[in-house]
Amino acid sequence: MKLIALMKKEFARFFGDYKLLITMILPGLLIYIIYSVMGSVMFGGEEEAYRLRVYVEGESAIVSTVESAASANGWETEMLSLSEAGIDEETAREQVASGEASALLVFSENFDASLGKGAAAEIVYNADDDGSAAFASLVNAALQSFSFTLTVSDLSGSGGGAQMVMAGILPMLIVIFVFSSCMSVTLESVAGEKERGTLATILVTSVRRSDIALGKVLPLSCVSLIGAASSFLGVVLSLPTLMGVSLDVAAAGVGAAGYVLLFLLILSFVPLIVAAIAAVSALSRSVKEASGYTSVLMILMMVLSLVTAFLPDIGGWVVAVPILNAVAAMQGILTGAPVVWMCLVSVAVNLAYTAVLIAVIARLLSSERVMFGK
Amino acid sequence: MQDNLPFSDFGEEVVRAEGLRKTFTLSRKQQRLEHTDFPRKVALDGLSFSAQRGEIYGLLGPNGAGKTTTLRILSTLISPDAGDAFVCGHSVRKEPGKVRDVIGFMTSELKLEGFFTPSYLFDFFGAMHGVEKGALAQRKQELFARFGIDRFAEVKVSDLSTGMLQKVSLVISIVHDPAVVIFDEPTNGLDVLTAKVVIDFLLELKAMGKSILLSTHIFSLVEKLCDRVGIIIDGKMAADGKLQDVCGEMSLEDKFFAIYRSIKGDAV
Repeated sequence: MKLIALMKKEFARFFGDYKLLITMILPGLLIYIIYSVMGSVMFGGEEEAYRLRVYVEGESAIVSTVESAASANGWETEMLSLSEAGIDEETAREQVASGEASALLVFSENFDASLGKGAAAEIVYNADDDGSAAFASLVNAALQSFSFTLTVSDLSGSGGGAQMVMAGILPMLIVIFVFSSCMSVTLESVAGEKERGTLATILVTSVRRSDIALGKVLPLSCVSLIGAASSFLGVVLSLPTLMGVSLDVAAAGVGAAGYVLLFLLILSFVPLIVAAIAAVSALSRSVKEASGYTSVLMILMMVLSLVTAFLPDIGGWVVAVPILNAVAAMQGILTGAPVVWMCLVSVAVNLAYTAVLIAVIARLLSSERVMFGK
Repeated sequence: MQDNLPFSDFGEEVVRAEGLRKTFTLSRKQQRLEHTDFPRKVALDGLSFSAQRGEIYGLLGPNGAGKTTTLRILSTLISPDAGDAFVCGHSVRKEPGKVRDVIGFMTSELKLEGFFTPSYLFDFFGAMHGVEKGALAQRKQELFARFGIDRFAEVKVSDLSTGMLQKVSLVISIVHDPAVVIFDEPTNGLDVLTAKVVIDFLLELKAMGKSILLSTHIFSLVEKLCDRVGIIIDGKMAADGKLQDVCGEMSLEDKFFAIYRSIKGDAV
């Protein structure tokens, strides 16, 4: 009963103030506008009509699927088998690397018959060539629903295309937007209440400290989730423009399961971030002080997220590190290669850390030095 | 309205402090302000006293004597380093939750959120104390009518006048009908009209049969309200008893300074 009353009070505080609600929803809109503009600048909008020459080694009905998807995007695609072109695979790779050809698709033997039974394919492209990069992205996205191993080989000298860069940056951006959303509500609610003396008024009642901690973290997480969901929607809707492909292709690239995993990951680190900021707020004497500490926490998280995103083959150990595990898992999802166990373990790890932090907050609320120290 | 009967377990003694000791660590800045090189300050040094049921007990002392520390210990916000205190028979060390159930604590440091209305906050704090909904609604109606809050029940706390805000704070501190009401410096910083609201409120509470413990440095307030007085100087109880027994033929002010000089010399 007491926990419910505490939670209702937090909800009443935020849902009773329309200005706070607007500040929660606004970031998603901004993300959508900014990312869409960025995508349009980078890819010249969705109307870009590429002329592509693609070599194909091996046979599969998937070739026509890719061709249809490319023409649906308004691209003129010439699909040539290596025998038609009269060249070998090595020459085809050289042509892709030099930009003479856009891409090379290599299918394993009896590919269509062995779908789901060890079929493998490779797409060789050049990320320095916009058309080639867009084609690789489209192939990656369009073939998600087929069960085979797709190897993506970039022959550019720069080491990564715009899409790959975006897949690296996006998880970090999601974390930052979620962090900002959590920060705005939690600082006010915990450090603000402590500074104004309204938290002490609750401490004089017989309610348990753990209930107060839970009564803060749970509703604040829900409120922060509104901001997070808004940011998430902003990212999802602007993703196609960023990838230079149409909405349905982009959606297929991440896949329904990918979106579910993405949202689960966000769902797991929102309460974790709220609990971390609440703990920092409980330790601080004022909103100003808490805001200073939290900013340091945010910068630290940004740097570590960037490192995680761009460190190749980071290893499975990252699942033990809160938030960063979600960054690594989200990167996998956004590049079209989600590692399901990593996503699920990350969710569990983040929730476990949240529980630990709630216990820490309850201890802090019981500490006279923390709550009433000058 | 129910009073605080029965007290079968602990007789007439609603509050008993036994050898309370509390020290605080001073920061360098605090050491400078206190003009001392010692990193620790003894706030309470073996303080003992008891308050009786249905009476108003006043803790009188200069600033820094340890009054607020005593009340904070009794309200379980802080713990004593040594000694213990019992409120309605419950130890502040071992049963802080039970102590919080039977006390109402009022101090200027405890604030109400300006965003909410008196009605909402009354219900919220009622829930925090585990008051049953039906009883809470009835108590709200009675107390709001008695203290003239009913007309402002749905006005945001931030929009209330100082006097009305004080009334709301007072009423909310007794939302759970506590047996013991503890007030730290009840009239400190209040204008004469609001101070009168508080004094009348305390007398009302006494008439309801509540036991009240207050701290103050205002002699007239003790003389007007208190049945018993405890004079605290430097964290120790210098005198304790019924007001007339402590003062004898002297006024409280004269008696206080006589005691003060006997302890501190002529440093008044």
